Amino acid sequence: MLYREAGQFKASYQADQAIFPVAQDRLVMLALLVIAFLVVPFVTSEYVYRAVLIPTVILSLAAIGLNVLMGYCGQVSLGSGAFMGVGAYAAYNLAVRLPFLNPFVCILLSGFVAAAVGIVFGIPSLRIKGFYLACATLAAQFFGDWAFLRIKWVTNYTPSGSVNAPPLQLFGWDLSSPTANYLVALGITLALALAVKNIVRGHIGRQWMAIRDMDIAAEIIGVRPLYAKLSAFAVSSFLIGVAGAMWAFLYLGSWEPAAFDINRSFSLMFMVIIGGLGSILGSALGAIFIVLLPIFLNQALPPLGAAVGWQISTATVSHFESMIFGALIVFFLVVEPHGLARLWSIGKEKLRLWPFPH
Amino acid sequence: MTTARARSFTDVLLSVENISLSFGGVKALTNISFDIRKGEIRAIIGPNGAGKSSMLNCINGFYHPQEGAITYKGQRRSRMRPHAAAEQGIARTFQNIALFRGMSTLDNIMTGRNLRMRTGLFWQALRLGPADREEIEHRKVVERIIDFLEIQHIRKVPVGQLPYGLQKRVELGRALAAEPELLLLDEPMAGMNLEEKQDMCRFVLDVNDEFGTTICLIEHDMGVVMDISDRVVVLDYGKKIGDGAPDEVKRDQAVIDAYLGVSH
Repeated sequence: MLYREAGQFKASYQADQAIFPVAQDRLVMLALLVIAFLVVPFVTSEYVYRAVLIPTVILSLAAIGLNVLMGYCGQVSLGSGAFMGVGAYAAYNLAVRLPFLNPFVCILLSGFVAAAVGIVFGIPSLRIKGFYLACATLAAQFFGDWAFLRIKWVTNYTPSGSVNAPPLQLFGWDLSSPTANYLVALGITLALALAVKNIVRGHIGRQWMAIRDMDIAAEIIGVRPLYAKLSAFAVSSFLIGVAGAMWAFLYLGSWEPAAFDINRSFSLMFMVIIGGLGSILGSALGAIFIVLLPIFLNQALPPLGAAVGWQISTATVSHFESMIFGALIVFFLVVEPHGLARLWSIGKEKLRLWPFPH
Repeated sequence: MTTARARSFTDVLLSVENISLSFGGVKALTNISFDIRKGEIRAIIGPNGAGKSSMLNCINGFYHPQEGAITYKGQRRSRMRPHAAAEQGIARTFQNIALFRGMSTLDNIMTGRNLRMRTGLFWQALRLGPADREEIEHRKVVERIIDFLEIQHIRKVPVGQLPYGLQKRVELGRALAAEPELLLLDEPMAGMNLEEKQDMCRFVLDVNDEFGTTICLIEHDMGVVMDISDRVVVLDYGKKIGDGAPDEVKRDQAVIDAYLGVSH
C-alpha cells in the first residue's frame, strides 16, 4: 500500500526517463545515502570497515565494470582480476615515479591506463565470441600474473615483489583512517556508478545492448561493432582499473601480485552473475552477497553447531564455509538465473499490488 | 483483383547490374539486373530458395557479390560493411525477427536513431546539456513513430515478451526511426493473420505515401504483392525470370511455370 505510483504523473520526457521515476524509490535512495554517509561513520567499528564495508564498496565498483562488459555488451571476460592489477600497479607506479601527484590523481589516471590495456585485450572480441572470447581474455589474466611478477620495473625493483601504497592525503588532510577510506571509496564508487547508469541509458549503452542481443541486426541499423565493443572494453576496464587502484590504496595498503590472480576474476564474475547481468544495482547486490556470505557463515556456524551439541573446529568451519558457499551459488542460479536484481524487481512488483495477489 | 495504383516513377535510386553471388559451388544469384526507382514500392517475389533474401543481403552490404555492381544514388558502390549501408540511408527488417530482445520497445526504436546521435562518452556520463537535449529531441521523433504504428501501450515492455505480430511492427518502427531513403522489408507479413496483414499493408503504404520512403519488399502473399507494389521482380533458382508491373508479371508464362511447375 505504501509502494504505489498511482497519482504520480509525468509531464515531460525528462521525468519519464529519470533513473528513479517512482517517488518512493527516490526517498529510499535518499535515506540510504544519508545512512551511508552520515550515520555509518559514527556507529561503525574498525573491524566492520575493514572486513565488510570497504571491500564491498570497492568490489561493487569492479563488478559494475565487469557488468558493463558482460551484462550490457555481452562480451565474456575472465581477465578482470588482471585489469584490477593493472589499475593498482599503474597507480603505484604513477605515485612512485611522479611523487608530486596526489594519490587521488594517481587512482583516477590508473583508470585510463587500465582502459588502454583493456582496449588492446578487447581487440580479439571483434572476431570471436562466447567461450572463445573467454579463453582469449584468460590470456590477459595470465599475462597480467606474469608481468606483475616478472617485470621488475612494474614493482619498482623491490626485492620482495611486495609494494606499498603511499599515504592518502588531500589538501593537507590525512585520509588514512578506515572511516576516511570508506567515505572516499563510497564517494568514488557512487560517482562512477551514476556515470555508468547515465551511459547505459543513453545511446552508447543502447549500442552495447544491441550488440549483445543481436549483433547482425545492430550492424545493419548502423552500429559499428568496432566502436561499440572497444568502448565497452574501455569503460569496463576503466572502472575495474579504478577499483583495483582503490583496492590497493584504500584496502590492502601493501600487496603482492597474488592479490590480483584468477580467483579475483572468478569472484567478480560470480558477483555479476549472482547479482544480475545488465543491472548496476545487481552488481552491488552481488558484491554484498559474495563479501558478506563467507563472513556470515564464519560467524553463524560455530553457535549453530554448539546449539546441536557439536563443537566445530576452525578448520571444519572453513571447510563448511566453502561447501555451503558453493551450494548456495548453485541454488541461486537454479532458482533465479537472472540474479538478485530480478528478485528485487519481482519484489517491487509484488509490493505494488500488496495486499492483493493480482 | 485490380492493380490499386497506377503510378509512374523516373528517378533511379538503386540499380543492380549483372550481379552474381555464389557460396562455394552453390550459385545463389546469377547475372541479375534490375532497378529501384525513387518513391516506388518494389516487390521481389519467387519460390523458396530463389535468392530473394540473398538479394537484399547484397543490397545492404551483408553479402558481397563476386560479379556485377550495385549503384546507389548514382554512386557505384565498392565492397562495404552493413553499417556503411545504414549510413547511406538503407534500413531493413528481417524475415526472422531480429529485435534486441532484452530491450524495451522504446529502446529498440531509439537504437534505430543511433546514427543521428553524436554526443560522446563524457557528456553521456554526465547526462547534462547536449546529451540530455539530444536524448529528448530523438525521443520526440521516436514517440511520433510509436504513435504512427499504434504501439503506445507496449512502449516500456521488453520486446521478448511481445506477440509475433507486434514484434514485426516494432521491427518496422526501428527501421523507420533511421529515417531511411530506401527501406528493405524481408517478408513483413509472414506468419500473420488476415487482420495483422491488413494493418501491416496499411503501415507500408502510409510510410510510402507520408514519408516518401522507397520500399523494396519480399513477400509470399501474392494478394498483398499485387495490391500494394508498383513493380515486381521475379526470381527463380537465382535467375531473374520476370520484371514489370504486377499485372504483366501475373500473366507472364515463365512466372506461372515457376510457381505452378511445368511438366518436362
